[in-house]
Amino acid sequence: MWKSVIYKEWLKVRWFLIGFTALGIFGVGYIFLKVQHDFAFMEAKNYWYNSLFKGLQYFGYLKFLPLAGALAIGVAQYFPETINKRIKLTFHLPLKENKVLMMMHTFGTCSLLAAYLLIFAVFFGFSKIFFASEMVNGAVISVFPWFLAGLTSYFIIALVVLEPIWKYRIFYSLIGGFFVTIYLKSAVTAGYGPANPILFVLTACLSIALIFSAYRFRKGEM
Amino acid sequence: MSNVIECNNLTHYYGKKMVYENLNIHVREGSILGLLGKNGAGKTTTINILNGFLQPRSGECLIYGENSQHLSPATKARIGFLIEGHIQYSFMNIHQVEKFYSGFYPNWKPAPYWELMSKLKVAPNQKISTMSCGQRSQVALGLILAQDPDLLILDDFSMGLDPGYRRLFIDYLREYAKSESKTIFTTSHIIQDMERLIDDVLIMDYNRVLAQCPVNEFMSTFKQFLFEAEKDLSDLKKEKFVVNLEKVKNKIELYTYESEDFVKNFLDEKGIAYKNFTQVKMGLEDAFIGLTGKY
Repeated sequence: MWKSVIYKEWLKVRWFLIGFTALGIFGVGYIFLKVQHDFAFMEAKNYWYNSLFKGLQYFGYLKFLPLAGALAIGVAQYFPETINKRIKLTFHLPLKENKVLMMMHTFGTCSLLAAYLLIFAVFFGFSKIFFASEMVNGAVISVFPWFLAGLTSYFIIALVVLEPIWKYRIFYSLIGGFFVTIYLKSAVTAGYGPANPILFVLTACLSIALIFSAYRFRKGEM
Repeated sequence: MSNVIECNNLTHYYGKKMVYENLNIHVREGSILGLLGKNGAGKTTTINILNGFLQPRSGECLIYGENSQHLSPATKARIGFLIEGHIQYSFMNIHQVEKFYSGFYPNWKPAPYWELMSKLKVAPNQKISTMSCGQRSQVALGLILAQDPDLLILDDFSMGLDPGYRRLFIDYLREYAKSESKTIFTTSHIIQDMERLIDDVLIMDYNRVLAQCPVNEFMSTFKQFLFEAEKDLSDLKKEKFVVNLEKVKNKIELYTYESEDFVKNFLDEKGIAYKNFTQVKMGLEDAFIGLTGKY
């Protein structure tokens, strides 16, 4: 059954997932082309100085990338289920309703994490080439909440898209949008260090939010 | 014979609008029951409650003895469900959708699916979203046949189908249900289709059940009499034996479960002059309109 669920979800998200991952890798490539360019024109020591003491964040372009991926994959995965209330087909499969939903959700989360991991690995690898370990560690701490913001957005998109009533969708979107901005505040490099564990827990708590929308759908809210 | 579906004292409201109160339905094992009703009478509401997509205000529906709000996976595997409009995963093609569903049902029988698909003139990679309504109906039906469920719940299977596809759908379905002793609970807004398909009929009007019995029994006991009378007979509607009465000029259509002799005796006793008294042979659609009224 896992195989069938994965197959269906893959058919829905594959092009979005591949497209996002490619876009992410190109984005990271662009960041380091620019770093290389700036190294050449202002010398590495000046670039490092600006990074360490003037607040220059070479990784700033990454900020909204995970969010874009979450939006693409979340909508690609859940929107088709709501057209003509097609989610009824999913709930009618010979599985517990919450189980099949969480199987779909696990697939989506793992897909998104896989894309993030690949993008992050490329980012981390290039960072190690151009910067000292201490600077790379700071960058990692800074980009971590951005990736968490992506995951959180994915969970909120699932909650919003599966919600059967439009006014609640708008309400959840507003609250969710506000919530995600907590992860994306401007901060000095590594400034989010103390907050990251709390943000991680908040993200984990939101991971099952879609069950509430699915429950409302099955109750017959319209 | 045991009941596959039993709805007891089902009551539902949308806000303050009552759909029905204390509705009781039962579907015998191996029978084909057609739920008929005007738009808004509660057909889709009933289907949604049966499939666990709507929680009734009170009462319960049992399917194979389990509450429809909490069906076990094993029971769900015994139920084939056709959503109104033959909805399927439209981003898949016919091969992908067959591959997807086959993973859920150990008794999956692909032969009837592919037999139906061979009748469709679709490209192997054509997405379901680009198919006609008729083609989609065959995909949905084929998937249900391949699932080989014991109970089929079909919500308005004739919606959007041309006469050819409707006939194909019905003939396949009836043949399958009778040869394999399947139980079917179905709705359709095209009542001629039901006549070819169903064994039992359940006719609902707003808030109540008007008839629930074998369709042959209904058609033999429910009658339409046509006669001409000059007198105003609107008071006749109040008589217990009169189910419905329609008047066009001096022509009276009287619907009742009573016999011709009973009606004639009644008219004679009341001193109502009439002429050209005849019993009209009705189809299921005529009987449905006779029972529920034209509007």
